[in-house]
Amino acid sequence: MEKRSGQGGPAFQEDEEMEEEDKAPDMEAWERAYADDRSWESLIEDESGLLKAGDDVQQQRQHRRRLIQASGPRIQRGIIRYLCLILDFSRAAGEIDFRPSRMAVVAKAVEDFVREYFDQNPLSQLGIIVMKNGIASVVTELSGSPEAHIRALKSNLESFGEASLQNGLELAHTYVQHIPSYGHREVVIVFSALSTCDPGNILETVKKCKAARMKCSVVGLTAEIYICKHISQETGGSYAVAMNEGHLKEILLEHVPPPAAMPDASSASLVRMGFPQRGSEGAVAICACHKELRIGGGYICPRCRARVCELPTECSLCGLALVSSAHLARSYHHLFPIPTFDELLVDASLRGKSSFAGSCFGCRIQLSGGGSLRLRCPRCKRDFCFDCDVYIHESLHNCPGCETLQEEAVT
Amino acid sequence: MKFVIEGLTVYFPYEFIYREQYAYMVELKHALDARGHCLLEMPTGTGKTITLLSLITSYQLANPSLAKLIYCTRTVHEMEKVLDELRRLHLYQEKEIGSSRAKILALGLSSRKNLCIHPVVSGETSRESVDAGCRKLTASWVRAAAETNLDIETCSFYQGYEKQGSEQPLPPGVYTLHDLRVYGRQRGWCPYFLARQMIQFANVVVYNYQYLLDPKVSGIISKEMQKECIVVFDEAHNIDNVCIEALSVNLRQNNLDGASRNIHKLNQIISRFKETDANRLRQEYNRLVEGLAQQGNLHGSDNWLANPVLPEDILREAVPGNIRRAEHFVAFLQRAVQYLRERLDTDTVVKEGPVSFTTTMSTAAGLDQKALKFCYDRLHSLLLTLEVTEIDEFLHVQTVCNFLTLVGTYTRGFSIIIEPYDERMPHIPDPVLQLSCLDASLAIKPVFDRFQSVVITSGTLSPIDLYPRLLNFNPVIIHSFTMTLTRDCLCPMILARGSDQLPVSSKFDMRSDPGVVRNYGRLLLEMVATVPDGVVCFFVSYSYMDGIINSWNEMGILQEVMQHKLVFIETQDYVETTLALENFRQACDCGRGAVFFSVARGKVAEGIDFDRHYGRLVIMFGVPFQYTLSKILNARLEYLRDTFQIKEGDFLTFDAVRQAAQCVGRVIRSKADYGMMIFADKRYNLPNKRNKLPQWIQSQLREEHLNLSTDMAVHIAREFLRRMAQPSDPQVSKSTLLSQEDLEKMAAMPNF
Repeated sequence: MEKRSGQGGPAFQEDEEMEEEDKAPDMEAWERAYADDRSWESLIEDESGLLKAGDDVQQQRQHRRRLIQASGPRIQRGIIRYLCLILDFSRAAGEIDFRPSRMAVVAKAVEDFVREYFDQNPLSQLGIIVMKNGIASVVTELSGSPEAHIRALKSNLESFGEASLQNGLELAHTYVQHIPSYGHREVVIVFSALSTCDPGNILETVKKCKAARMKCSVVGLTAEIYICKHISQETGGSYAVAMNEGHLKEILLEHVPPPAAMPDASSASLVRMGFPQRGSEGAVAICACHKELRIGGGYICPRCRARVCELPTECSLCGLALVSSAHLARSYHHLFPIPTFDELLVDASLRGKSSFAGSCFGCRIQLSGGGSLRLRCPRCKRDFCFDCDVYIHESLHNCPGCETLQEEAVT
Repeated sequence: MKFVIEGLTVYFPYEFIYREQYAYMVELKHALDARGHCLLEMPTGTGKTITLLSLITSYQLANPSLAKLIYCTRTVHEMEKVLDELRRLHLYQEKEIGSSRAKILALGLSSRKNLCIHPVVSGETSRESVDAGCRKLTASWVRAAAETNLDIETCSFYQGYEKQGSEQPLPPGVYTLHDLRVYGRQRGWCPYFLARQMIQFANVVVYNYQYLLDPKVSGIISKEMQKECIVVFDEAHNIDNVCIEALSVNLRQNNLDGASRNIHKLNQIISRFKETDANRLRQEYNRLVEGLAQQGNLHGSDNWLANPVLPEDILREAVPGNIRRAEHFVAFLQRAVQYLRERLDTDTVVKEGPVSFTTTMSTAAGLDQKALKFCYDRLHSLLLTLEVTEIDEFLHVQTVCNFLTLVGTYTRGFSIIIEPYDERMPHIPDPVLQLSCLDASLAIKPVFDRFQSVVITSGTLSPIDLYPRLLNFNPVIIHSFTMTLTRDCLCPMILARGSDQLPVSSKFDMRSDPGVVRNYGRLLLEMVATVPDGVVCFFVSYSYMDGIINSWNEMGILQEVMQHKLVFIETQDYVETTLALENFRQACDCGRGAVFFSVARGKVAEGIDFDRHYGRLVIMFGVPFQYTLSKILNARLEYLRDTFQIKEGDFLTFDAVRQAAQCVGRVIRSKADYGMMIFADKRYNLPNKRNKLPQWIQSQLREEHLNLSTDMAVHIAREFLRRMAQPSDPQVSKSTLLSQEDLEKMAAMPNF
């Protein structure tokens, strides 16, 4: 079991992971948990003889390296995404090397992913396809409601038969064909199996997907598979294999931020959108999405006055994209991200100088003591600790230093 | 990049060099400086070929006295790869020091079958028929006759070559076989004869082992090589077997029947000649009185049957009187064939030394030893005199003469074994008379004696100290290099127990045990469900593979395996195997996954790479010992024990483990690749087997990967595959590479 950085990520289920089915005869189960983990090896003794758990700074660097890779220069991003999630519920998904089973772990990770996806991409849509028994079937059509997806997925948890990537991709291909041209077509495949059992030549299908500008990414659960690598390379997607449950979530969540806009889709086009008002409490109306009588709540389409239950969505009568202004605002930070902070190397000769004596601008923790990286915002030149850096970049999307500068400028 | 090793400027066509490549160059240079032989082991995938070429050509540039580099490979495919690397190196050298200084001529030489461009002859399928077809058009008497008689067909390419090609050398450059053919077509010159001619002028010659080791071939091709040559044997882990094969002859019933037919035909031709051209036969007789040695230059270009005996053993004296006359010689051959036929007709296995064999031969059939020695040369002379061109029809009598000459010449290091049937199939009579060479050092000795430096190198030469004893030479440098890895991309495991904790082994008394068969089956099943894409399995022999696959089929294991991966099997048929391999690759490419069943010591184990996704796992079922009841093997073991003090067990283990290492080495061809190796036999756990594995496998074989059971192996495999699937850090992989600055820094520090 590889040790991974724990900061900011979800809780690790390492203990569960340890209960693998192999029974080494000369070691008790609880012993093996430690033998595999080797947590004592990462203990470090500092000058005063105190033990510290692991090399914090190294782990922090590792975490940041991923952030830096993800950010890059300011780029045009595709805010309006149509993402097809293809889940593999073949026989291999019933394996129990992830507890309780790969399928259950995938379902849980997907649930988190769906919520996070709609949270960060309110203007986007998502659909779920499941591969099992050699065929691919639609679980949910492309739509904007996280709860509906999660509900449908939970009622669909069975695994048997073979997986067929070709069928999955073909289905996704028909699915994304009538997406408007400004939408980003993405496919994320969560693949448990080690082989794909196809009716025809999958390489042709890959070519077709490439021609349709579908970006296919694969998240593997077991090992690197050549065809998955091929698919992702050809279509410009990414390929990653999960080490454990935590890592699976992590790599799945990497698909949450909107991708860079495709170079040939750069023609700026205006998209007609409606900003519906919330219906008054107690008003009785026939809901356009459920086709039944509902009392109170809901939103009224500004064009055709139909009532819809949730935002964002497409009005089922007039087809207008319905969003709230908050959704647009939340998508905004992807377009203008805060710059990544620069790491300042703490040099012994500089330690005495005033600029290095300070504390974190965010939480006022002392930075000179070590144990945390010292990070500086390139715009406002304020220093932050590692935890604040993560918070600012992953949740807040505002730099407190720059904000105060602006305030000062105003006053 | 360009760097200096102990005063020698080395040109290396890549921007970075691995540490072990640098170390390899240093050792190689020491050996060349000492003008001695060396034995170097370096794992595959570390760029051995370019390292060798780059150092030796740089050495040639610095020391113009050095004649040439002779690079021996086992297959044509490897030959082309070497020449491609050399071309890249040459381009780099030209860029660095200008084309005038970096002038080299490098070419590959192969048989006529690979080089012929004659529209009809090149269409022939076998090597012998192409040779014969060529001879029919190019033999000196044919061409002489064609000058007067225009109906006689000759080869225009050969004529073109004769007229102009033989004088002017090729322009400098690197010529692969393909280039030679293209060049030959452009000029209308025969590429085969052109290549043979150009060997004298070339700086680098790439050809097959046989061209140096087999006296029948080397006598023609390589006799004019100077002493100041560097000889490289690449992939030389089986060099002892090549040496032995070069001096061994097998005679079966059909050979003798064929020889009888040939003799009959010779008789006919002789009597025809007697009527028309008796003078010619008399001339031949006179020549023979003077001795064979002096008449070698009779027909300049017709040197096509060289003596199978090593050069220094050829007698420089007159042919004995009893076989000087053509009809006497043919009668002599007839008697010999008759005698051999009688010997072959036996119910028991006979094992004899050459001395007693020749003694009984001379008493029983009146065939004296001295005459035997000359058989091959005498036949050669006779065929030339009779102007026979269809030599492919006379193969059988050549084999018999080959046998007679070897038996007559050597008194030790050989043994003659007559077996009435194959041990494994006693009910089918298949008598065979085998003259088997027991001493690998015989064939290679002239090479060691003749050339200044001989480099023997391979990925698997362990245990490396056995080779000098087997080949009987004194290398100045023996070194085994390990691989510097950026990550643990090799995962060797020793699996000693099945899922039910019972030991597994291919040992004779255990191999047919259904429990062992089932355990092996379960192992395969678990592994195909764990490992993506391609899996390769090696079995110890064809018969074992057939048996175990049958049992798996009956147990239903094979059907379960097929749910995960498609199954392909190597057969003894070359075409079938090629087709299976092609489909195997396709199945891996399209994601279906496939498993290939193959045999250690087979074609696949020796020459086919299963790199990248084609081989993520190789399972070696059992220890590939040789068939220990084989009489030839026993004779060789006895000889090794008596002559070189090598214990039977040691040699058998050495041979088995090198084959196993060779098999598992198929999966990893570069450092970016990764793969697992499972040695599935409890005997690998014994230190005497384990320690004989090559260093680069041993260093990756961790303590906790020994003595595994199936479920533990599955667990390790899962972890390993997940770890390897993570993107590798480019920063780390740089650390095993040395740039030019690094090397300069190292050179500045004397004690690196």
